[in-house]
Amino acid sequence: MSQELVVALVNGLFRGSVYALVALGIVLVYRATGVFNFAQTEFGTTGLFAAFVAVEMWHWDYALGLLFGISVAIVMGLVTERVVIRPLRHSSKVTLLVGTAGVATTAIGIQFWLTNEQPIREMPPIVEGSIATVLGVAITYQKVITVLVLIVVALALAAFFRSPSGLAIQAAQQEATAAELVGISVRRVSLMTWGIAAALGGLAGILSGPNDTFTAAFLTFGGGAALLPGLMAAVLAGMRSMPGALAGGLLVGIVEQLGALSALADLPGPKATILFVFLLVVLLLRPEGLFARKVVGA
Amino acid sequence: MALLEVRDLVVGYDQYPVLHGVSFDVEQGECCVLLGLNGAGKTTTVTTVAGMLQPQSGSITFDGKELRKGSPSQRVAGGISLSPEGRRLFPRLTVSQNLKLGAWSRRRDSKTLKRQMDLVRDYFPRLAERENQLAGTLSGGEQQMLAVGRAMMSRPKLLLIDEASLGLSPTVARTVWEVTSRIKADGTTVLMVEQNAGALPFADRALIMEKGTLVYTGVGDELRTVNLREAYLGSGA
Repeated sequence: MSQELVVALVNGLFRGSVYALVALGIVLVYRATGVFNFAQTEFGTTGLFAAFVAVEMWHWDYALGLLFGISVAIVMGLVTERVVIRPLRHSSKVTLLVGTAGVATTAIGIQFWLTNEQPIREMPPIVEGSIATVLGVAITYQKVITVLVLIVVALALAAFFRSPSGLAIQAAQQEATAAELVGISVRRVSLMTWGIAAALGGLAGILSGPNDTFTAAFLTFGGGAALLPGLMAAVLAGMRSMPGALAGGLLVGIVEQLGALSALADLPGPKATILFVFLLVVLLLRPEGLFARKVVGA
Repeated sequence: MALLEVRDLVVGYDQYPVLHGVSFDVEQGECCVLLGLNGAGKTTTVTTVAGMLQPQSGSITFDGKELRKGSPSQRVAGGISLSPEGRRLFPRLTVSQNLKLGAWSRRRDSKTLKRQMDLVRDYFPRLAERENQLAGTLSGGEQQMLAVGRAMMSRPKLLLIDEASLGLSPTVARTVWEVTSRIKADGTTVLMVEQNAGALPFADRALIMEKGTLVYTGVGDELRTVNLREAYLGSGA
């Protein structure tokens, strides 16, 4: 195996884990509201900024800083649900979509405003250094931790969706009227959904941030852009399947990195082009997505 | 005192009234059928009792207490459970998950949950055979059984069943009505909404609605002697 291939696979797994976290959040919110959440990655950038402020400016313990970052992301998700989504719940999907885009642009605007004097920031990794070197390629702790976190999140989500609260979320998503009739508070479920989606976005931001420098809109269209790849992963999952979002995220990450090794790499914006062509081919062959089961019933 | 007392109920969607002052009682332990054509106001009546619509005026008294503004979750916790029109199952959850969610208001009471689960399995052995199947893949009859079973999981005092026979073959509809009779015999008061007069033999009493008002209330054998067609469809039919 060539060194380039190892780099592509390691980075693909790492980027793929970030995309998977983003895609899981996108699918979760899509199932609840029927709209693509433009703000998903801004939960991440905002969480990253919050963690950065706690660790670097307030000199908090790193673990506490991470917790603070994720908490800020969750609060942002809850506020989004309460202030934007709930008042618009009877509006058209397009209105809701614009609402989430509004949340994203507001967050990005605030980030630019607050970081105007020093736009480029750097977050230290959770653990410095590399765990191993394969064919001369250093595999950093940060990347390994990111993949491990994804695995833990996946297991936790799988367990959660089998628990009573997880079943209630699915019930409200599939048939809100019946959920009300059996006594489930659809409002509470909606808040819970946005809270979880925001936590997933927050994790994506906080874990991918320390890999590089970061700026405002980092996870949306900055250095760690994960919104479009996350959306692609969600589309591969038919916008509905959680395991599909996870597999889709990893696949998109690996295809993106491997594609950059090919002749296509000479094109301008190679990664985006490769992903776009890949998604197009997949959707032409399987319009319902790669990992989606056939939708059952009404 | 009747278990359910509905008095002068006026309900509308926006400013258009659908019910124009409906009054009736459902006695403890009986099985009533609310008959009427499309648009007569049957579904509006039961969904209002279940707390999904708020009346403009009139009152609903259940088990001696007047029900003020309240959500369906308060009503189901108070003992009123609705199996809604169109079944409204959770299609991508299994039969057993649908049933468990039916007991959401009693989810911390594992004894009741188990007892109701056993009861529903006993009422509908077909559901017991298909516990791990997704609800959306069941046949129409099985879906209706699941909808009634799910509504029974909260151990209601009053079970409302909206249009159980809709889209079912006469044989399957009969099976569902037979279970309704058993549910009543086991002590749960039942109010069925039907367009299908085939439900009559399974009910103690019929209430017939037309254009948002109650036009006829009949008991026992009267049901079979009255010219139903005339009463049900109006004198012009």
